[in-house]
Amino acid sequence: MKVVRFSAVWCPSCIVMRSRWEKILQENDLSWLEIEDFDYDQHKGLRAKYNIGRDIPVFIFFNSQGNEFARFVGEVDRKELIKFILENKKS
Amino acid sequence: MNKFFTKIIFILLLFFLLSPLTVSAQQSKTIYLTIFWGDGCPHCHKELIFLDKLKTEFANLQIRKVEVWNSPENAQLMARVGQQLNDRITGVPFTIIGDQTIAGYLNDETTGESIRQVIKQYLDTGSKDIVGEVMDNQSPQNNNPEVIATPGKFTLPIFGEINVKNWSLPMLTVVIGLLDGFNPCAMWVLLFLITLLIGMEDRKKMWVLGSAFIISSALVYFLFMAAWLNLFLFLGFIKIIRIGVGLVAIFSGGYQLREWWINRKGGCRAADDTQREKIMNKLRRIASEKTFWLALFGIITLAASINLIELVCSAGLPALYTQVLAMSNLAPWQYYGYLLLYVFFYIFNELVVYLVAMVTFRAIGISNKYVRWTNFIGGIIIFILGVLLIFKPGLIMFG
Repeated sequence: MKVVRFSAVWCPSCIVMRSRWEKILQENDLSWLEIEDFDYDQHKGLRAKYNIGRDIPVFIFFNSQGNEFARFVGEVDRKELIKFILENKKS
Repeated sequence: MNKFFTKIIFILLLFFLLSPLTVSAQQSKTIYLTIFWGDGCPHCHKELIFLDKLKTEFANLQIRKVEVWNSPENAQLMARVGQQLNDRITGVPFTIIGDQTIAGYLNDETTGESIRQVIKQYLDTGSKDIVGEVMDNQSPQNNNPEVIATPGKFTLPIFGEINVKNWSLPMLTVVIGLLDGFNPCAMWVLLFLITLLIGMEDRKKMWVLGSAFIISSALVYFLFMAAWLNLFLFLGFIKIIRIGVGLVAIFSGGYQLREWWINRKGGCRAADDTQREKIMNKLRRIASEKTFWLALFGIITLAASINLIELVCSAGLPALYTQVLAMSNLAPWQYYGYLLLYVFFYIFNELVVYLVAMVTFRAIGISNKYVRWTNFIGGIIIFILGVLLIFKPGLIMFG
């Protein structure tokens, strides 16, 4: 499974989600999860590729076949996010 | 007999000679009371009923009722009277008896009794008609009238004596100021600046540039608010302007409630790329500027321009607040004191985010759930204020 994250340094919600994500990584072994981080301002080309609109942060989940199966936009509760990741580990 | 007639003639002469003086003395005992009132203002309505009762109590009381909300001429007269008295009259009802003024009206037992006592002071002497003199373009001699405050107190267990009017305006100032500060327009610039500042090796420059941004933002906002306030102090009496601000408030409150409803997921909405990159590049140039004074000048001018945009962003909150403030009957230093309080709470979020980042070298973000609930509470308050401004302005006259 792969997660692609889009965020910006100037976005308060992205900062909130960054610290939640760090805590998730500290508390759980997610070495099996492929993570790609992109900056909203620096990766304009990828914004179009991943169909990122004007709302951030964005978490896009891809299965082992490379197909998108979930997308979270905005702030997501930490427990809800880790529950979702663990439930879909075999995707 | 002749002596008798002589006495009668002498008495008659004396009577006719003195009678005009007697009439003149009676005329001089007239007590002039002028009330400036607004159509739809509940406090004014209560006072008008009370004054009608007083008229039967004091035969020599002459009452002039001047409605100011529907008549620009009367509003101008009130402003002129205020100028002549060196007293900024900003709210109604405003009562002038002789050379004494009474701002506001709570009830017959408190303000009504104060009015009665002032009238009694003039029973033997009569009073001046300062408003009449202004209407005749004559300046009154007394430029420092005694102002009698309107009491509005009640006692609560533990808290003791509470003056409602003293607390309502500060609370309103804090709430609207905080709500205004949650506006995302200036916050994103500060967060981007913080990322640049944290990366600086020169700690002194980091603190100076960051502080200059915050202080300049606060100062520019204060100046704009002061301009709004002075505009409403002069024009706020005009009904159409009050209604216009009320409509803006209803729209703004509705917008805040809409944001609360639709923005449940939270998150940030990115503005136009070109505009954002322009500001980001300016900030990068300022941060990398070798000449300290040029960097400082750059950050101050940028903060000023960002807060210009912020005024448009805040959807009329400063206009609404200053209109309500202008309707309150306060001393000039109190008006500006309230503006300072407003600006402090407006800048409070930015100040906390900035100070934490400077101390911990890590940017923090305020979660959207707080922003959402601020939108909800603030939206309701602003919506209600808008409705009151239009239909019941008397209920939001403080001070």
